[in-house]
Amino acid sequence: MERTKFESSIGESYVKAELPSGLKIYIMEKPKYSSAYAVFGTKYGSIDTAFSKNGGEQISVPAGIAHFLEHKLFESEDGDAFTRYAKTGGYANAFTSFDRTCYLFSCSDKFYENLEILLDFVQNPYFSEETVKKEQGIIGQEIRMYDDSAAWRVMFNMLSCMYENHPVKIDIAGTVESIAEINADLLYECYNTFYNPSNMFICVVGNIDTEKVLKQIEASIKEKPAVTIERGEFFEPQTVDKHYIEQKLEVAIPMFCYGYKQKIATPNRRLKSKVCAALLLELICGETSPLYARLVREGLINDEFDTEYFTGHGYAAVIFSGESQNPKRVAQEIEAEIERIRVEGIDKKLLSAVRSAMYGEAIRRFDSVEGVAMQLIECAMTDSDLFEELKLLKSVTAEDVYKRLDLFDSENSVLSVINPKN
Amino acid sequence: MSVKLTPISNGVEGLFISNDRFNTTLVSFNFYLPLDKQSVAVNGLLPFVLTTCSDKYKDFSKLNYKLSKLYGAHLDASTEKNGDYQLLKISASVIADRFAIDGESLTAEACDLLLSLIFEPKVENGAFCEEDVEREKRKAIEHIRGEISEKRTFARNRMIEEMFKDDAYGVSKCGSEEDVRAINGESLYKAWENMLKTAFIRVQVVSSGMPAGLFDKVREKFDAAARENVTVCGKSKHVIPRDTVNTVVDKMDVAQGKLVMGFSSEIEGDSENTVPLMVLSDIFGGGPYSRLFTNVREKMSLCYYCSASSVRSKGLLMVDSGVEAENFEKAQSEILNQLDIIKKGEFSDFEFDSSIKSLKDSLKTYNDSQSAIDLWYALRVIDKELTSPEEFAEKLSSVTREKVIDTAKGVKLHTVYKLMPIDAVKE
Repeated sequence: MERTKFESSIGESYVKAELPSGLKIYIMEKPKYSSAYAVFGTKYGSIDTAFSKNGGEQISVPAGIAHFLEHKLFESEDGDAFTRYAKTGGYANAFTSFDRTCYLFSCSDKFYENLEILLDFVQNPYFSEETVKKEQGIIGQEIRMYDDSAAWRVMFNMLSCMYENHPVKIDIAGTVESIAEINADLLYECYNTFYNPSNMFICVVGNIDTEKVLKQIEASIKEKPAVTIERGEFFEPQTVDKHYIEQKLEVAIPMFCYGYKQKIATPNRRLKSKVCAALLLELICGETSPLYARLVREGLINDEFDTEYFTGHGYAAVIFSGESQNPKRVAQEIEAEIERIRVEGIDKKLLSAVRSAMYGEAIRRFDSVEGVAMQLIECAMTDSDLFEELKLLKSVTAEDVYKRLDLFDSENSVLSVINPKN
Repeated sequence: MSVKLTPISNGVEGLFISNDRFNTTLVSFNFYLPLDKQSVAVNGLLPFVLTTCSDKYKDFSKLNYKLSKLYGAHLDASTEKNGDYQLLKISASVIADRFAIDGESLTAEACDLLLSLIFEPKVENGAFCEEDVEREKRKAIEHIRGEISEKRTFARNRMIEEMFKDDAYGVSKCGSEEDVRAINGESLYKAWENMLKTAFIRVQVVSSGMPAGLFDKVREKFDAAARENVTVCGKSKHVIPRDTVNTVVDKMDVAQGKLVMGFSSEIEGDSENTVPLMVLSDIFGGGPYSRLFTNVREKMSLCYYCSASSVRSKGLLMVDSGVEAENFEKAQSEILNQLDIIKKGEFSDFEFDSSIKSLKDSLKTYNDSQSAIDLWYALRVIDKELTSPEEFAEKLSSVTREKVIDTAKGVKLHTVYKLMPIDAVKE
């Protein structure tokens, strides 16, 4: 088994290994900790609604199927994985996002027994028409719950204006109608394509022994011929469909998502680009910025205000979100601030402060086993090094950050607002 | 890991929680005051005003700049209901000095900053500055109003409000919008003075080493504060059972209804007797092995979530679920049916063992999170034995099936809160 050890200047280190089947493994030992956290994931999420396997014909599948599969994978012919975890006391869960599905557990005892359960149930699907039907009821309620969530709706309404064809615009769980089309055969088709070791990864963090973990994984992974996955290419215009969208829900204060769609030539962003974008967002409206102070003083935002560089395969956008009595004003102020920085340049003193703050944040994240596991997932998804961000935070220049102003083209902005019903 | 309690001043104690696994140091000031409808809003605003500016850092841009220079030190403010007490929490966390690129003394600076925020606020003529007060009032009001946006939390809070109508515990942790509006610079100043003089105070440090001289500096400040009538933290009043169930229905234009049920128990708050209530709650609606998950969700497909939780200091057990309006009756009767099954002892050893194992395992992970371990001790301030999460986990071993059954027998439905979609069928 190929393996590499990565070390950092802050005293943390991890091992990356790859099995002949292509499965990537990331392990960080934290011997002083009481617990451990493990994730078995696949590069398969809600955006994978069309694909072909091994050069075959492209097929389209119902929206929400990756999430549906996640729910169903916990079941096997003789009971479910939760029942098995109940015997060890481990905490188990799973999540599906736009581009990944991850199965995880955390525990302070019986780590290797828990790992055995994780490795076993993720590799052994069991879908039947009867259990699929039952799940449609449960997920139907999950979808209904999100229908009432203003924070969820305001984001997806924005994405629906921003993207014409890319499936990132579709709710991760799909719709009540789309999940009604799911059956056992389709689930197997998706499983056999995306749950191949060559498309998967395992991340383990905590009080564990690297060698023992690697041995156990190696012994448990079923070697399968690697699959070639062609992900559906969606012709996505560089422009947005609509600049403004509004919905009324039972909220007390209007909620907003203000985003800029990025024009992209290739599907994925580099880490340097993400780090520079994060620094720039801090300069524009982070808590230390002049704009943030002004928006709070004028009563335009509260502690819910947040920013994100939102990117995955084939999509990238910068998003400002929060609650405001006047979302349009907030959007105008953000745009004006971006223009001001474009003209006046980067405030070097402020950049030095936000750089220190982000450096401290990066170090702080190593305090949480879960936090490190989430970062290792990111490394697996983007094939990057966990410590690269620390290095970049020291090395990127004001010019690099300034260049990221190309993210903001007002022609490509969308403001999504949820207004109170009354 | 070890803990050491140091008496500091009248009603002020320091707790050093030695833990060498983190890259950061956390220091929290915990102020305990009686939970009271009249003062909950003004007290609740204090941590927020105190952590946004000070005499030295006149506005939060200057303060945030300082925090950035301390490598993104975090300042956190919160107000919580801790049984019959209001817990005001102000904390700072900062990365260890060894990471400072230019050798700065980050921990010492962060401790000094925290002390100056609490003891040297920006005040003029016996009042907080209007601009700061109004800004934080606006944010607090938006927070209170914003609760409606998350229907699950909203429904849970509404149930508690209805169930504890005649008890201070029924108030929202931030107080009412009306009470927040009534706050001004003078009233906030009085609340600040009152907090420093009369609150019971626990200063907690979670770190590999005790910041030099911190407790001495704290002592100096509080010895000068002329402390009197100090709050004595004791047992909270537990919920009194009702003869008839109180049902409350709110209508709202939502897709999915919310059903929240509050139960009284015969558990006396804040004592070891509450451990079986924790186990009962978990077997009833905790993990995926629980009665509610396996039956109401998995077998009947009635909901995505249906879970139980307990507030042991108040002897409260509650269940909350998101269900279609037409299924309210079915869900409610099945929830009660599952409770009856536990009362009759018709749950399996597997369910019982799973629950104990899961609770124990999760308690043992507390030490891996700085904020979790800080909160663990802060919320258990009346526990003079300073029981650690691991020691508490061991207490679970003494809980028997019979204890759980006995506890369940004392559980009685008190209040049912329904958040109904407007167009729902009439009941």
